[in-house]
Amino acid sequence: MSVTHDEVLKIARLAEVDVSPEALPLLAEQMSRILDYVAQINSVPASEGVKPFVPGPDAVRFRVDEVKPWPLAFGPAKLAPVFRDGFFLVPKLGQFEQEEG
Amino acid sequence: MNDPSEALASAKAAADRVVKTKRLNACLTGPKDLRKSLVAQAQAAHPSGVLYGMPVAVKDNIATLDFPTTCGSKILEGYRSPYEATAVVKLRAAGALITGKTNCDEFAMGSSTEHSAYGRTLHPFDKTRVPGGSSGGSAALVAAGVVPAALGSETGGSVRQPASLCGVVGIKPTYGRVSRYGLVAFGSSLDQIGVLGRSVHDAARVLSVISGRDPKDSTCEDRDPLRLPTVPESLQGFVIGIPKEYFPADLDPAVRRACDRVIRLFREQGAAVREVSLPHTSFAVATYYILAPAEASSNLARYDGARYGPRFDGATDVRALYRATRGQGFGAEVRRRILIGTYVLSSGYYDAYYRKAQQMRALIAQDFRNAFDRGVDLLFTPTTPTAAFKAGEKLADPVAMYLSDIFTVTANLAGLPAISLPIGRAKGLPLGGQFIGQAFLEDELIEAAYALERVVPATTEA
Repeated sequence: MSVTHDEVLKIARLAEVDVSPEALPLLAEQMSRILDYVAQINSVPASEGVKPFVPGPDAVRFRVDEVKPWPLAFGPAKLAPVFRDGFFLVPKLGQFEQEEG
Repeated sequence: MNDPSEALASAKAAADRVVKTKRLNACLTGPKDLRKSLVAQAQAAHPSGVLYGMPVAVKDNIATLDFPTTCGSKILEGYRSPYEATAVVKLRAAGALITGKTNCDEFAMGSSTEHSAYGRTLHPFDKTRVPGGSSGGSAALVAAGVVPAALGSETGGSVRQPASLCGVVGIKPTYGRVSRYGLVAFGSSLDQIGVLGRSVHDAARVLSVISGRDPKDSTCEDRDPLRLPTVPESLQGFVIGIPKEYFPADLDPAVRRACDRVIRLFREQGAAVREVSLPHTSFAVATYYILAPAEASSNLARYDGARYGPRFDGATDVRALYRATRGQGFGAEVRRRILIGTYVLSSGYYDAYYRKAQQMRALIAQDFRNAFDRGVDLLFTPTTPTAAFKAGEKLADPVAMYLSDIFTVTANLAGLPAISLPIGRAKGLPLGGQFIGQAFLEDELIEAAYALERVVPATTEA
């Protein structure tokens, strides 16, 4: 199986990844090789009765549904240019209106 | 060790060793930050902890508060996690000293630690060779004697393969034995934190500390931490299976000789040895390289320049921003795997690839159950098909690189525990052999590994 350049670009759009025109030929060639290799699993007869294997506990344990403070990597003061008394300081709305007018 | 002055000396000595082995590019943490953190950790650690004063390095895809967590990627350059992985929290509680973050293949995708945005890690015995991967930095630090143990992570063999190539011990626990909370997700149904150690005992005692239930990870089993077995006198009573599919006719002769020597030792040590068959083994790598990229394409969707790490600006709209950030932020191997994963999950290909691979995974897991149902306690196989290969040798051919995981991926697909330990040398380079055990019977694995470690000529030519 061979993956065309257009198919690679379509998949890249779906995956939200830019692919440069220079990288495209090698990427298409390598993807084709990988997909050819993995396609060997289709040589095993269809096993419709086989249930997918899922590792881990038989049943998912849920946590207690409660609101907890979520830690931040940085304090909120680092996220905004101006921060005082626990509030982000922003221009007054009137200023925007004047600028627009 | 329970003397604070000894812990402080241990911290400073570990910092010195990291500096001395800088050329390996195994540790991503800067020496000044590391020394400062180690000293603070030694002063804060409680002397009653079972790992008090023990330096333990941590792979860079495991979240820590003290150091950035970059996953070896440019897309997470400088990223600091707001929380710490459960495994790291448990290590700290036991008095261990977190000795920096170790280099790895980007997002743990690779088998050579050449796919790190921060440069490749060198093999500690031969700088022209790779240490394996993706936990190559952890393996190199342990092999170089910098730390007695390090955390790594496994999705397809990323602890055992570098352990084998570097001549150290690597344990991959049963899926669900160790919490994945704080382990950056790659293939969530396969990922597990594992341990690399200079001996079975060092690796096992770190594993026993990080194992056990965690309400923060619903895939972590509700079990007590692992209890370490005693060192046995022999292998009397063990039935060890030798899967014939792991010894193909074209197996590297040195690997075969080393394994044959181990099998003779099993018999001398009183174990019963039986040939077994795991008939779907040859499809394991193909199955893995469908499922793992599929899961990765979903897990890595979150790195879009809006929430984590740097963003690559100049985009005209938000989707262009995502594409530019992901296109420039991810390295070639990660991009390739995201595209493969997106491809196999896309309309028209899902049944032929992803669904079929799920069925193959069930058949591979059933192979193991059949072998264990026939009275086999453990399986023994080579860990890797060859000793450490040359840097750059497999970079242009991803399939050749993927095949270096051929003997390790099966345990990940089946969720089983496995341990690799050194069993000999080939032209001076280490070779590893692995035991694969039944789910949650790590104690049996460790017991057998203790017995083998005592008698195997690990540093002599095979």
